[in-house]
Amino acid sequence: MAKSSGSYILDTSALISLGSVHILEQVLKVFSVTTTGSVIRELEDFAKYGDKYGSIAREVLAWKSKLVIESCETKEPIKYIEPTDNELYSLALQKGLPLVTDETKLVHHARKNIEVYFTTLFLVMLAEARHFTKKEALHKLEELRDIRNWRNNIIYITTRNQLELLSP
Amino acid sequence: METEQFNIRMPKGLVQDLGIISKLLKVNKSEWVKTKLAEDVHEEKSRLLMELSTLYANGMVNKEKIEKLVGKEVAGEMESIKAIAQKSAQRGIAYGKKFRKLHP
Repeated sequence: MAKSSGSYILDTSALISLGSVHILEQVLKVFSVTTTGSVIRELEDFAKYGDKYGSIAREVLAWKSKLVIESCETKEPIKYIEPTDNELYSLALQKGLPLVTDETKLVHHARKNIEVYFTTLFLVMLAEARHFTKKEALHKLEELRDIRNWRNNIIYITTRNQLELLSP
Repeated sequence: METEQFNIRMPKGLVQDLGIISKLLKVNKSEWVKTKLAEDVHEEKSRLLMELSTLYANGMVNKEKIEKLVGKEVAGEMESIKAIAQKSAQRGIAYGKKFRKLHP
Protein backbone atom coordinates (compact mmCIF):
# COMPACT_ATOMS: atom_id res chain seq x y z
CA MET A 1 0.00 0.00 0.00
CA ALA A 2 1.25 3.45 -0.85
CA LYS A 3 1.57 6.13 1.83
CA SER A 4 -1.43 8.44 1.76
CA SER A 5 -1.71 11.96 3.07
CA GLY A 6 -3.70 10.86 6.14
CA SER A 7 -2.37 12.03 9.51
CA TYR A 8 -3.29 10.88 12.99
CA ILE A 9 -2.21 11.67 16.52
CA LEU A 10 -1.64 8.51 18.58
CA ASP A 11 -1.39 8.15 22.36
CA THR A 12 0.47 5.52 24.40
CA SER A 13 -2.50 3.12 24.50
CA ALA A 14 -2.87 3.26 20.71
CA LEU A 15 0.83 2.65 20.05
CA ILE A 16 0.84 -0.25 22.53
CA SER A 17 -2.27 -1.75 20.88
CA LEU A 18 -0.79 -1.53 17.37
CA GLY A 19 2.53 -2.91 18.62
CA SER A 20 0.81 -5.80 20.41
CA VAL A 21 -0.72 -7.11 17.17
CA HIS A 22 2.32 -6.18 15.04
CA ILE A 23 0.57 -3.76 12.68
CA LEU A 24 2.39 -0.54 13.57
CA GLU A 25 4.78 -0.96 10.63
CA GLN A 26 1.90 -1.19 8.12
CA VAL A 27 0.14 1.80 9.70
CA LEU A 28 3.32 3.87 9.47
CA LYS A 29 3.64 2.97 5.78
CA VAL A 30 0.18 4.39 5.10
CA PHE A 31 -0.24 7.28 7.54
CA SER A 32 1.76 10.05 9.11
CA VAL A 33 1.69 9.43 12.86
CA THR A 34 2.24 12.23 15.36
CA THR A 35 2.72 11.84 19.09
CA THR A 36 4.29 13.75 21.99
CA GLY A 37 7.51 13.53 23.96
CA SER A 38 5.45 12.58 27.03
CA VAL A 39 4.13 9.51 25.20
CA ILE A 40 7.67 8.51 24.23
CA ARG A 41 8.73 8.87 27.89
CA GLU A 42 5.80 6.66 28.97
CA LEU A 43 6.86 4.03 26.44
CA GLU A 44 10.46 4.26 27.64
CA ASP A 45 9.23 3.67 31.21
CA PHE A 46 7.27 0.58 30.08
CA ALA A 47 10.32 -0.64 28.12
CA LYS A 48 12.38 -0.90 31.33
CA TYR A 49 10.33 -3.92 32.44
CA GLY A 50 10.58 -7.52 31.31
CA ASP A 51 6.82 -8.10 31.09
CA LYS A 52 4.60 -8.16 27.97
CA TYR A 53 4.07 -4.39 27.99
CA GLY A 54 7.83 -3.85 28.25
CA SER A 55 8.38 -6.07 25.24
CA ILE A 56 5.65 -4.31 23.20
CA ALA A 57 6.98 -0.86 24.21
CA ARG A 58 10.47 -1.82 22.97
CA GLU A 59 8.96 -2.96 19.66
CA VAL A 60 7.10 0.37 19.33
CA LEU A 61 10.20 2.41 20.22
CA ALA A 62 12.10 0.66 17.41
CA TRP A 63 9.86 2.74 15.08
CA LYS A 64 10.47 6.03 16.92
CA SER A 65 12.33 7.61 13.97
CA LYS A 66 9.18 7.21 11.82
CA LEU A 67 7.01 9.15 14.30
CA VAL A 68 6.51 12.91 14.25
CA ILE A 69 7.13 14.05 17.82
CA GLU A 70 5.62 17.36 18.92
CA SER A 71 4.78 19.16 22.12
CA CYS A 72 1.83 21.38 22.91
CA GLU A 73 0.77 23.69 25.70
CA THR A 74 -2.45 22.58 27.39
CA LYS A 75 -4.75 25.61 27.42
CA GLU A 76 -8.17 24.18 28.21
CA PRO A 77 -7.62 20.84 29.98
CA ILE A 78 -10.36 18.29 30.44
CA LYS A 79 -10.54 17.77 34.20
CA TYR A 80 -11.19 14.02 34.09
CA ILE A 81 -8.06 13.03 32.18
CA GLU A 82 -4.29 12.77 32.78
CA PRO A 83 -1.86 15.59 31.81
CA THR A 84 -0.27 13.42 29.07
CA ASP A 85 -3.70 12.84 27.51
CA ASN A 86 -4.59 16.51 27.88
CA GLU A 87 -1.48 17.45 25.88
CA LEU A 88 -2.53 15.06 23.08
CA TYR A 89 -6.07 16.46 23.19
CA SER A 90 -4.70 20.04 22.92
CA LEU A 91 -2.42 18.99 20.06
CA ALA A 92 -5.39 17.46 18.21
CA LEU A 93 -7.38 20.67 18.76
CA GLN A 94 -4.49 22.88 17.65
CA LYS A 95 -3.59 20.89 14.52
CA GLY A 96 -7.13 19.84 13.61
CA LEU A 97 -6.02 16.19 13.44
CA PRO A 98 -7.91 13.11 14.62
CA LEU A 99 -6.72 11.41 17.83
CA VAL A 100 -6.47 7.63 18.02
CA THR A 101 -6.63 6.14 21.51
CA ASP A 102 -7.91 3.02 23.25
CA GLU A 103 -8.62 4.95 26.46
CA THR A 104 -12.40 4.94 26.72
CA LYS A 105 -12.53 7.78 29.26
CA LEU A 106 -10.47 10.00 26.95
CA VAL A 107 -12.71 9.13 24.00
CA HIS A 108 -15.85 9.93 25.99
CA HIS A 109 -14.66 13.34 27.19
CA ALA A 110 -12.82 14.44 24.03
CA ARG A 111 -15.28 13.42 21.30
CA LYS A 112 -17.37 16.58 21.58
CA ASN A 113 -14.45 18.79 20.52
CA ILE A 114 -12.11 16.63 18.42
CA GLU A 115 -12.34 13.69 16.04
CA VAL A 116 -11.45 10.46 17.90
CA TYR A 117 -11.05 6.83 16.89
CA PHE A 118 -10.09 3.50 18.44
CA THR A 119 -7.13 1.58 16.99
CA THR A 120 -9.60 -0.93 15.56
CA LEU A 121 -9.86 1.53 12.64
CA PHE A 122 -6.46 0.30 11.41
CA LEU A 123 -7.24 -3.37 11.99
CA VAL A 124 -10.47 -3.13 9.98
CA MET A 125 -8.71 -1.10 7.27
CA LEU A 126 -5.93 -3.67 6.81
CA ALA A 127 -8.48 -6.49 6.70
CA GLU A 128 -10.69 -4.68 4.16
CA ALA A 129 -7.58 -3.87 2.08
CA ARG A 130 -6.83 -7.64 2.07
CA HIS A 131 -3.53 -7.04 3.79
CA PHE A 132 -4.53 -10.06 5.83
CA THR A 133 -7.46 -12.45 5.73
CA LYS A 134 -10.68 -12.16 7.72
CA LYS A 135 -9.54 -15.10 9.87
CA GLU A 136 -6.21 -13.42 10.59
CA ALA A 137 -7.97 -10.13 11.40
CA LEU A 138 -10.30 -11.87 13.85
CA HIS A 139 -7.28 -13.57 15.44
CA LYS A 140 -5.53 -10.22 15.82
CA LEU A 141 -8.68 -8.77 17.39
CA GLU A 142 -8.67 -11.64 19.93
CA GLU A 143 -5.00 -10.87 20.70
CA LEU A 144 -5.82 -7.19 21.11
CA ARG A 145 -8.73 -8.04 23.39
CA ASP A 146 -6.45 -10.12 25.62
CA ILE A 147 -3.68 -7.55 25.85
CA ARG A 148 -6.15 -4.74 26.62
CA ASN A 149 -8.36 -6.91 28.84
CA TRP A 150 -11.41 -5.90 26.79
CA ARG A 151 -13.26 -9.19 27.40
CA ASN A 152 -16.72 -8.80 25.76
CA ASN A 153 -16.72 -5.01 25.78
CA ILE A 154 -18.33 -2.70 23.24
CA ILE A 155 -15.15 -2.11 21.20
CA TYR A 156 -14.52 -5.84 20.83
CA ILE A 157 -18.11 -6.77 19.92
CA THR A 158 -18.61 -3.88 17.50
CA THR A 159 -15.32 -4.60 15.69
CA ARG A 160 -15.90 -8.36 15.62
CA ASN A 161 -19.38 -7.84 14.13
CA GLN A 162 -17.87 -5.61 11.45
CA LEU A 163 -15.04 -8.05 10.63
CA GLU A 164 -17.53 -10.94 10.41
CA LEU A 165 -19.24 -9.09 7.52
CA LEU A 166 -16.06 -9.11 5.41
CA SER A 167 -15.57 -11.75 2.76
CA PRO A 168 -13.01 -14.44 3.69
CA MET B 1 -12.33 10.82 51.61
CA GLU B 2 -16.01 11.51 52.18
CA THR B 3 -17.72 8.69 54.08
CA GLU B 4 -21.22 7.56 54.91
CA GLN B 5 -22.40 5.35 57.79
CA PHE B 6 -23.70 1.92 56.70
CA ASN B 7 -24.88 -0.41 59.49
CA ILE B 8 -25.33 -4.15 59.04
CA ARG B 9 -26.31 -6.91 61.47
CA MET B 10 -24.11 -9.99 61.19
CA PRO B 11 -24.41 -13.52 62.62
CA LYS B 12 -22.46 -13.90 65.90
CA GLY B 13 -20.30 -16.67 64.43
CA LEU B 14 -19.18 -14.40 61.62
CA VAL B 15 -18.28 -11.64 64.08
CA GLN B 16 -16.25 -14.16 66.12
CA ASP B 17 -14.44 -15.30 62.97
CA LEU B 18 -13.70 -11.66 62.17
CA GLY B 19 -12.23 -11.34 65.65
CA ILE B 20 -9.88 -14.28 65.00
CA ILE B 21 -8.75 -12.78 61.67
CA SER B 22 -8.28 -9.41 63.33
CA LYS B 23 -6.08 -10.87 66.10
CA LEU B 24 -4.02 -13.05 63.76
CA LEU B 25 -3.42 -10.31 61.19
CA LYS B 26 -3.18 -7.59 63.84
CA VAL B 27 -5.61 -5.40 61.90
CA ASN B 28 -8.70 -3.46 62.87
CA LYS B 29 -11.89 -5.49 62.16
CA SER B 30 -13.72 -2.61 60.47
CA GLU B 31 -10.72 -1.73 58.30
CA TRP B 32 -10.33 -5.35 57.19
CA VAL B 33 -14.05 -5.65 56.30
CA LYS B 34 -13.92 -2.32 54.47
CA THR B 35 -10.93 -3.44 52.36
CA LYS B 36 -12.51 -6.81 51.50
CA LEU B 37 -15.85 -5.20 50.69
CA ALA B 38 -14.18 -2.59 48.46
CA GLU B 39 -12.40 -5.35 46.48
CA ASP B 40 -15.59 -7.35 45.99
CA VAL B 41 -17.71 -4.31 45.14
CA HIS B 42 -15.18 -3.17 42.52
CA GLU B 43 -14.99 -6.64 40.95
CA GLU B 44 -18.75 -7.20 40.92
CA LYS B 45 -19.48 -3.71 39.58
CA SER B 46 -16.96 -4.23 36.73
CA ARG B 47 -18.45 -7.64 35.91
CA LEU B 48 -22.03 -6.37 35.86
CA LEU B 49 -21.17 -3.27 33.82
CA MET B 50 -19.31 -5.50 31.35
CA GLU B 51 -22.43 -7.67 30.98
CA LEU B 52 -24.57 -4.59 30.52
CA SER B 53 -22.22 -3.16 27.88
CA THR B 54 -22.25 -6.52 26.04
CA LEU B 55 -26.05 -6.36 25.90
CA TYR B 56 -25.86 -2.74 24.73
CA ALA B 57 -23.27 -3.54 22.04
CA ASN B 58 -25.53 -6.33 20.76
CA GLY B 59 -28.56 -4.02 20.68
CA MET B 60 -30.40 -5.99 23.37
CA VAL B 61 -30.78 -3.00 25.69
CA ASN B 62 -31.03 0.71 24.85
CA LYS B 63 -29.44 3.82 26.36
CA GLU B 64 -32.64 4.84 28.18
CA LYS B 65 -32.77 1.50 29.98
CA ILE B 66 -29.09 1.81 30.95
CA GLU B 67 -29.73 5.33 32.24
CA LYS B 68 -32.53 4.04 34.45
CA LEU B 69 -30.35 1.21 35.78
CA VAL B 70 -27.00 2.90 36.37
CA GLY B 71 -27.38 6.61 35.68
CA LYS B 72 -26.63 9.15 32.98
CA GLU B 73 -22.83 9.19 33.28
CA VAL B 74 -22.33 5.46 32.65
CA ALA B 75 -25.00 5.44 29.91
CA GLY B 76 -23.32 8.42 28.23
CA GLU B 77 -19.91 6.73 28.35
CA MET B 78 -21.31 3.52 26.82
CA GLU B 79 -23.00 5.55 24.09
CA SER B 80 -19.70 7.30 23.29
CA ILE B 81 -17.77 4.03 23.13
CA LYS B 82 -20.33 2.39 20.83
CA ALA B 83 -20.53 5.41 18.53
CA ILE B 84 -16.74 5.72 18.22
CA ALA B 85 -16.24 1.93 17.82
CA GLN B 86 -18.75 1.97 14.94
CA LYS B 87 -17.19 5.09 13.42
CA SER B 88 -13.70 3.53 13.66
CA ALA B 89 -14.88 0.39 11.88
CA GLN B 90 -16.68 2.40 9.18
CA ARG B 91 -13.63 4.58 8.57
CA GLY B 92 -11.46 1.45 8.42
CA ILE B 93 -13.77 -0.07 5.79
CA ALA B 94 -13.72 3.15 3.75
CA TYR B 95 -9.90 3.34 3.82
CA GLY B 96 -9.56 -0.36 3.01
CA LYS B 97 -11.87 -0.06 -0.01
CA LYS B 98 -9.95 2.98 -1.23
CA PHE B 99 -6.63 1.11 -1.04
CA ARG B 100 -8.04 -1.95 -2.79
CA LYS B 101 -9.20 0.27 -5.67
CA LEU B 102 -5.81 1.97 -5.90
CA HIS B 103 -3.88 -1.32 -5.65
CA PRO B 104 -6.09 -4.09 -7.05
